[in-house]
Amino acid sequence: MGRLNRDAVIAIVLLMVCGILFWSTFSIRSPDYGQLKPSTWPRVVLGVLSLLSTIYLVQSLRRGPAPEDGPDKDDDGPARAPGPIGWVLYWRNPLWCFGLFFAYLVTLPTLGSLIGGVLFVFTLMGVLGGWSARNLLQHAALALITVGGMWGVFTYGLGVILPPGEIFSPF
Amino acid sequence: MILDNIIAAFGEIGNVTTLALMLVGVAGGLIAGAIPGFTIAMAVVLTLPFTFGMPATQGLAIMVSVLVGGLSGGLMAGILTGIPGTPSSVATTFDGFPMARQGRPGLALGIGVWSSFSGGMISAVLLVTLAPQLARIGLEFNPWDYFMLVMFALTITASLSGRNLVKGLIAGAVGLLARTVGEDEAVGMARFDFGNDALLQGFDFIAVLIGLFAFSQLLRDVRDPEAAKKSLTEKGTIHAKIEHLAAIRTLVKHWAVVVRSALIGVFTGILPGAGGSVANILAYDQAKKASKTPEKFGTGTPEGIIAPESSNNAVEGGALIVLMALGIPGDVTAAVMLGALLMHDVVPSPTFIAEEPVLAYSIFIAFFVATFMMVGLQSFMLRVFVLVTKIRMYMLAAIILGFCGIGVFAINNVEFDLWTLLWFGILGFVMRQFGFPLAPMILGVVLGNIAEINLARAMAITTDISPFFTRPWSLFFMIVALFSAAYPLFQAHRGKRRWTLFYQPAACLAVALPLVMMGGVPRPILAALVAGFGVWTLYRRWQNGWRLEPADRPVLTE
Repeated sequence: MGRLNRDAVIAIVLLMVCGILFWSTFSIRSPDYGQLKPSTWPRVVLGVLSLLSTIYLVQSLRRGPAPEDGPDKDDDGPARAPGPIGWVLYWRNPLWCFGLFFAYLVTLPTLGSLIGGVLFVFTLMGVLGGWSARNLLQHAALALITVGGMWGVFTYGLGVILPPGEIFSPF
Repeated sequence: MILDNIIAAFGEIGNVTTLALMLVGVAGGLIAGAIPGFTIAMAVVLTLPFTFGMPATQGLAIMVSVLVGGLSGGLMAGILTGIPGTPSSVATTFDGFPMARQGRPGLALGIGVWSSFSGGMISAVLLVTLAPQLARIGLEFNPWDYFMLVMFALTITASLSGRNLVKGLIAGAVGLLARTVGEDEAVGMARFDFGNDALLQGFDFIAVLIGLFAFSQLLRDVRDPEAAKKSLTEKGTIHAKIEHLAAIRTLVKHWAVVVRSALIGVFTGILPGAGGSVANILAYDQAKKASKTPEKFGTGTPEGIIAPESSNNAVEGGALIVLMALGIPGDVTAAVMLGALLMHDVVPSPTFIAEEPVLAYSIFIAFFVATFMMVGLQSFMLRVFVLVTKIRMYMLAAIILGFCGIGVFAINNVEFDLWTLLWFGILGFVMRQFGFPLAPMILGVVLGNIAEINLARAMAITTDISPFFTRPWSLFFMIVALFSAAYPLFQAHRGKRRWTLFYQPAACLAVALPLVMMGGVPRPILAALVAGFGVWTLYRRWQNGWRLEPADRPVLTE
């Protein structure tokens, strides 16, 4: 592992994904008609991707332990503390966003897009911006106005039937 | 005929509702463009869900309005705060901000606004005149040519959009792969569904686009907890009155800079992969080189504002020319526009302008009208911009994510699209963090089906693959794809390795071959000129003692 930098690990993961997907192309059924089998194009793409990943792996291994590219442009703020806790703290805001959006999707059939959306925006603002009394009021008002407004535009303006949820159904 | 189409198009969009919605679109675009971290493509992609229930003409007119507004919005932030609102207005800050700090923010803004207007107008005229001509050329394309055109678009985007070509190409291939999930379009067989019914329908590519671009960008914007709590800019109390008359006088004085920069913008837009972020730097660089007082650049000279602003507004006209004529998006924003067209069951192709003239000309006219609206709205939006700068980034991110959670569902009324949004948001975020450019992936997602369908058509005609190498247009695109793939290597080794001496002459001579094969009179003449230029370049290098200076140009990365 001493020679494996981050880019090398990504290249290996890509090669593994290519292998799995290539293997699964053998289960794609082919009809009796048509010259281009449904599995041909994915195999061509996977072949190219495997080749590129191999080049990427070789490039990474030649370079040694340091990764070539850091993040695009994410050097703002304090440096990351070492260890898993440091990692979680450093990435806590994106993790909150993913986690809360995941929760929004899981609860969508129950809460619906209006209640779920308002709760999602309100909670996300809280965890990102803080829970002071002033913030609570400001966030609640913003969540209600913006999500309520968007919900109204889509439901009444554009005639889209958004998930009503089990709790509150306008229809 | 053209006049009839223009009149009909005016009839289509010249109603109160559409014009009012366009006004809202331009205003929204201006604000979105002015917010650092909020890109034009993001603004356009987030507008998509609103337009799906509208007639195609109206929906597309709004999309174009957001686009035009976004292109011009970046200058407000750049000039008043020194922070470019979008990558397209980076060069505007070089002279716009110093001029504002010298006490002339109104003149700087005026020059920016009227340069944007002029660039937009020049590119709109070229769009109306060139797109139908290019579409005629596009009628010569067969499936082999189209397939190679897509490969060229992907290759050049990968080569221009990052520091590592391999990473760019990997991103493009991942985009192509993402589009293969679900039933294939040619024969309807399931692929990579793993027994899951939801995967059988494939990933909705608009959900993919919003996830990759908007979702991942927002997460990046709020990564630093302290920065996320700050206002978008601390300098939110700036007041300026746009000096229109003085600005127009300045533009008339520097009309050559306006025209040259607009043409650079249009050409950059036509070239797949190179967008406004490249054009504004390129135009600034050219304006500086051509100026009698290059030493004044960077200190608040008007030419330093005119060049980037004329070029970045002209870019989308160029990108739309290729999109409307060939169905190939020139950059990410045009890829989103293609998504909008497809969502309205409009498939751009060389026959599109001939078959749907009213719709095509409506897009052209919307571009014109939106450019006029942009000038009218700038003064008012300046006040709104001051208010917007007081919003904290985390609030904006939460609200937009909330909007994504509603808007993406509205596209197909399918909950799976929201999961697609989440997974591709995570993928986009991770890719950005690992230094993979997203532009090639987005183009891969958008162009994947076009490539596969044309490959299927080609194979249906003959299983012989030699037409890929013997058909002039296919060979032409293959050659330019290969040379564009080698371009980052050329830039990196220019002047240091011997082979770089021959890169440009070899490219000219290679491109001349398919041009000769195309036959007729103008193309062989063009081939002779291109080949002659290659030979002349080789001769100059010989005269120069086989030496080539290392690149001193700005790095052109998306």
